[in-house]
Amino acid sequence: MLFFLLTTVTSIFAQGRVVSGAVSDEKGTPLPGVSIRIKGSPGGALTSTDGTFSLRVPANAKVLQFTSLNMEPKDVALSNNSNTLSVTMTSTSASLQEVVVMGYQSVAKKDVVGPVSTIAGKEVAQKPIASFTQELQGKAPGVQVTGQSGRPGQNAFIRIRGSGSINASNEPLIIIDGLPVAAAAFSLLNPNDIETITILKDAASTSVYGARGANGVIVITTKRGKGKPELRYSFQYGHSKKLPLYNLTSMNAQQKLQYEYEGQYTNGLLDTMINNRKASGAFPAGATLFNIPEAQRQDLWNTLISRSSNWEDLLFQNAITKSHEIALSGAEGRIRYYFSLNSTDYQGILYASDFKRTGGRLNVEYQATDWFKLGTNLGVSFSKDNQLREPFNTQNTNAGFYLINPYEQARLANGNYNPTLQGLNPLEGTDFNPQQIKKLSSFSTIFGEAKFLKHLTVKSQLGINYNTFNEEYYLMPGSNLANILGYNQKRVQANQDYLLVYTNTANWTQTLGGKHTFSLLGGMEFNKDKVYNIQLIARGFPTASVNTLDNASTPNTTSTSRSDWSLISYFANGSYDYKKKYFITLSARRDGSSRFGKDVQFANFGGVGLAWDIKSENFIKWGSLSSLRVRASYGTAGNNNIGNYDALGTYALNARYNNQGAAIPARLPNPELTWETNKNYDFGLDAAFFNNRLTFRADYYNRKTQNLLYPVNVSATTGFTSYTGNIGGLVNKGYELSIGGDIIRKKDFTWNVSVNYTNNDNKITQLYNDNQVAANTGSIGWLKVGEAINTFKLVQYAGVDPQTGKDQYYKKDGTITTTFPSSEAVLLSGKSPNIKYFGSINTSINYKNFDLSAQFYYSGGNYIMNYMWQVGASNGESINIPQFTEAFNYWKKPGDVVPYANLNDPTQNQTFDDTRWLQKGDYLSLRDVTLGYNLEGSMLSHLKILKGLRLYVQGTNLLMFTKFKGQPEVGLANGESAVQPGVYNLYAYPQFRSVTFGIDVKF
Amino acid sequence: MKKKIIYLSFAAALLLNGCKKSELDLFPYNQEETGQAFNTQSDVTLAVNGMYQGITASGSYYNGAWNIVPDLLADNLIINQAGRLSQKLYGEWRYTASATYPLFNGGYTIIRRANAILENIDKFPAGAFHDNAMGEALAVRALVHFDMSRVYSKTYANASASDLTVPYVTVTDPSIKPSNETVKGLYDKVIADLTQAASLVGTTNGVYRFNKNSVNAILSRVYLYKADYANTITTATAALGASPNVADIATFPKIWTDETTTGVLFKIANTSLDNINTQGTNYYQIVGGQIKSEYVVEYNFFQQFASNDVRKSSYIQTSPYNGVSYNHVIKYGGRPGGAAGVIDAKVIRAAEVLLNRAEAYYRSGLESSALADLQLLKRNRYTGYVNEVLAGQALLNEILRQRRLELAFEGDRFFDLKRLGLPVVRDQTHGEKADGSGTPYVFGTLAASDFRFQLPLPQAEITFNDNLKQNPGY
Repeated sequence: MLFFLLTTVTSIFAQGRVVSGAVSDEKGTPLPGVSIRIKGSPGGALTSTDGTFSLRVPANAKVLQFTSLNMEPKDVALSNNSNTLSVTMTSTSASLQEVVVMGYQSVAKKDVVGPVSTIAGKEVAQKPIASFTQELQGKAPGVQVTGQSGRPGQNAFIRIRGSGSINASNEPLIIIDGLPVAAAAFSLLNPNDIETITILKDAASTSVYGARGANGVIVITTKRGKGKPELRYSFQYGHSKKLPLYNLTSMNAQQKLQYEYEGQYTNGLLDTMINNRKASGAFPAGATLFNIPEAQRQDLWNTLISRSSNWEDLLFQNAITKSHEIALSGAEGRIRYYFSLNSTDYQGILYASDFKRTGGRLNVEYQATDWFKLGTNLGVSFSKDNQLREPFNTQNTNAGFYLINPYEQARLANGNYNPTLQGLNPLEGTDFNPQQIKKLSSFSTIFGEAKFLKHLTVKSQLGINYNTFNEEYYLMPGSNLANILGYNQKRVQANQDYLLVYTNTANWTQTLGGKHTFSLLGGMEFNKDKVYNIQLIARGFPTASVNTLDNASTPNTTSTSRSDWSLISYFANGSYDYKKKYFITLSARRDGSSRFGKDVQFANFGGVGLAWDIKSENFIKWGSLSSLRVRASYGTAGNNNIGNYDALGTYALNARYNNQGAAIPARLPNPELTWETNKNYDFGLDAAFFNNRLTFRADYYNRKTQNLLYPVNVSATTGFTSYTGNIGGLVNKGYELSIGGDIIRKKDFTWNVSVNYTNNDNKITQLYNDNQVAANTGSIGWLKVGEAINTFKLVQYAGVDPQTGKDQYYKKDGTITTTFPSSEAVLLSGKSPNIKYFGSINTSINYKNFDLSAQFYYSGGNYIMNYMWQVGASNGESINIPQFTEAFNYWKKPGDVVPYANLNDPTQNQTFDDTRWLQKGDYLSLRDVTLGYNLEGSMLSHLKILKGLRLYVQGTNLLMFTKFKGQPEVGLANGESAVQPGVYNLYAYPQFRSVTFGIDVKF
Repeated sequence: MKKKIIYLSFAAALLLNGCKKSELDLFPYNQEETGQAFNTQSDVTLAVNGMYQGITASGSYYNGAWNIVPDLLADNLIINQAGRLSQKLYGEWRYTASATYPLFNGGYTIIRRANAILENIDKFPAGAFHDNAMGEALAVRALVHFDMSRVYSKTYANASASDLTVPYVTVTDPSIKPSNETVKGLYDKVIADLTQAASLVGTTNGVYRFNKNSVNAILSRVYLYKADYANTITTATAALGASPNVADIATFPKIWTDETTTGVLFKIANTSLDNINTQGTNYYQIVGGQIKSEYVVEYNFFQQFASNDVRKSSYIQTSPYNGVSYNHVIKYGGRPGGAAGVIDAKVIRAAEVLLNRAEAYYRSGLESSALADLQLLKRNRYTGYVNEVLAGQALLNEILRQRRLELAFEGDRFFDLKRLGLPVVRDQTHGEKADGSGTPYVFGTLAASDFRFQLPLPQAEITFNDNLKQNPGY
């Protein structure tokens, strides 16, 4: 095309005159590659690298049009008197920031109708956390974020405006550069590559994503180059440590031995010591722990304690996090680019836990002609994770601390690991049963975009998210677990997940008569996801030093499997405004999902949004008001987050009996299985005062879910307990408030404070089968119309009887019994794992070159079944494992008013799931503090090559205020149990506190 | 301009083209539609295997907790304080409707598989294939119902006409909410199914599937529980043949290492590929080269094993853990060179059938026949055994004692006490260690009339299925 243009210039318009000149930006920097066209005539030129140009123009030419990426287009009238021009173009970058990426299109921020929250990339960058999802906490009202656990690379649970579903996923749809990405890939996206995160919450915004927008949509855009080339190097170094359990103290060795003695329990180590002393004659034949003199007993204890190890130091480590990053970005004429490379090493706080990631990104846009643009966003990342297991036993390192007694030793006299009384030492397991996970992810989109007829843009994009997952789990020969199982074994699992998204859109935008602006978008999208799994197991390795399966003598399992889903979508979106005063948007969408019954695969979704900019009306005269706008929207969105083939009644053929093929019923059919739909109302108000120094935003929302996807119970006598069906409805309603103020706004000194608050009320409105146990809640969560989902149903605890020392429980009729009455459990109205309110308090101060920011996050209104407390204060039921010091406060004599029953009454040596262990999950945490020092511009002018320098120190989870016994931020119970988040805790990878130092240098 | 129009029409074509709706018709790669599951004979074979696979896979049946729970509900086992304190619920009789023995769900999963075969089998021509598959399905259905009734209900002999048990399900209809069957009704249906099965099932299915002998063997068990002694004798004799083989002293230990099938009438395969070690880990794990037991042999019961009894060395090993000597149950240690605790699950052995018949002979007044059966068993268990002469109560006592010894740690003791209307009475003076010291039982006696002899039905089913009544007391 360039060639074509140049030829025309020289051949046809040989007559006329030559105009030459220079083009620069506001700062006087020459702009290369600016396209210059002659209005009304074909032909043109580009500026050279020094910003100059020379162009032959016909005699009748009057205006030259200058266009360049990131610059506002400029028309310059030709003067008859002069053949030289000096053109200054202004950067569009300022207005670029005001654009919100809404999904298939970008909308100027002032034209956005819905309650959209935008988070700048820098708010999630440079933290010692691999997955950006954890960093969204507190950043926007209505977006409730709970870290799943403290495992490096772990994602967060995100709930936008409450849990709209019971069993289908409640996670929002996350779209990275137009590509809906699988959760497994989140930790592989470098958070520093993120330009903006847009959170779409209401129907006006999400319904264009209809199909899967029911839980909200998070749209992530990675960085684009702009301006002059810039090279940035960032380095970060940090230390992390386990957060303590709050309000609980573990017994030390002496205390634990005393407690065991009081509970008349002789542990295996003491038992052996006593037997040895009996055999040697040091103790008489009938000696027991309870009949030897106190001095001898203490002597035994001291011997034991002297051998014991400091398990806290061994199981937990002072984790070091390190990261390096180089990024090069810029824009020049027709091309924009952003290129980055990063390498991070996040140690986890558990022994030998480590997550390493290396990756790169290249985003390029090329304006091939003035009407055709093409581009690509390519991200590739590789991670290596020394995965630690998380079951409820000592194969879980964190559980090891709560299950291995403090008087135990980590290694035996011969230097080998001590299996401990638990039979498995997590340190030994980590060393000799390594589990390593390698992931490779690529996020790639390529697109072409053409502009026609002034107002029409047609875009075609192909996106691929390719994730591989490779796990190697080796039970080394000679390892404790291999000896227990009677074989050594290596398991290799490889998984490929290939998601292809093909999107085509056409967009017509036009302003008529300066008053009426309308935009129409139409498009289609096709998603196809294929997962391919390989599993290989072999046994009989000769030695631990070799670990590839060719070394094994006995092949065991060779297996592959596949699974796939697809989604076809058609959508249209229209928006119109009159004088930027009255806004309306309409959207419609039709989606078909392979997961539903054949005749009900398709569903229609749609939404309407209205906004009124009251400030621009003439009748508003209040001087201090800088803006005022009201909004309303209504629409529908869907949810199809269930298994791939849940509608089909099938027999599985992948079973075997006696090493021969077998067919077993796999699923009951449900040909009527269809979309869960969400009707979403939103009313909002935005206001700003005093030249935008004080901003205020409020929203009320009401999300009604219908056709909830959930396992429908059937009688277990049918051989099944459920099938997937649409079972009822629920509602989430609440309000979001945010207030921000610039308390000080001076040239060298700014201080702002912002607060946001969200209140969410979750309630089941309809169930075809009311009053049933909720799946994946350990049978303590319940579903009942009028209550929040997973509301706890427990027997009510009535305290310890001061006279008898027995635990007491209430029956439904109010009477008290000392026999645990499991059938007397009552639904605890209002007590559920659903967080009812949350938000954050943020402040930042900039003084000259210093900046200081802090974020407090608070969350509450939820209840948590505290199993870690129950196990550690167990009335003697778990006297063989570590207990918390408060367990000493047990009943000893009539009249004692104490929290724990008589330790020496065997009928009381048992704990039950009763209300005693159910605790409020309220907390306030100082999540983040950052102090930075910046050197820029003039201060660095004598250092020619350096454009900017930033040094900072950042702290995470520095303070916590809670009454909960333990860690109140409960995500996963543990990594190996399928429990609804927040229902109970069970030794998940603990959260951490960290301090990080960083440096950013720009060249 | 022309070029633009070409591009534009191309773009429009892209938009309108879309994709075919057939792209949404996806099907799993390892499954087939339920309606296509019984098209050919080989489909039936797969379904029959699937039925047995259900027994292999159930964590609460023969390849799961079944080999220990009925023993620790009774007085054969005592908890090892140095173990992981697993399954305490049962030994202390503290089960509740929300934490009960989970055979209910697992059992009906297997029953559904049998019923699907029975609903489809008549698509196939009459003949040996048809009859064999039908017989196997009927037998599995009956076996599982009967075993569930042993757990959750009274036995025929001590139930009244109105005492209830689990529903007898014969359909695959997913909409059913069946009500309880009466205990007596269930026995009638079990016997009807087994009797029909015995007339249909083949004789060459081997020990890993039901065959004519093993169906008759199960029938003899059911008749004994029904106190129908004439039929116990008939069916036991049919199962045992003219010369019963309960495995001799040399062969007997090999039953427990899967090196022989002698004396085993029916067992469930648990291959090294299946790798299910529950039977083994129910009892112990090897830690640091030593056996670390969850439960060990009760002190007095251990004394019952004479030193010339081959069962003593096959079932029990006295060895130290952490310097303390225990009597560990080693019956489920695993196959030689195989994974620890991975072993076939024995459902019924000739020795049990022989003891069923001996007891039935005795209760039918045929003491000499009873004595002959007893002698036959003991000859194959005690080295240097000399035929003894016993009569009357002493003979019965010895038959029952031998039953306890022979079927020790095989999931029989609690049901046997229930069948005989006897309480569980435990010695609260001896502990778990081999020398009788240690921690004695905390809970000593379960009276024969105690409601806890019948375990509760699962609360989830009671909540959902309003036609089903919970057992009294829960």
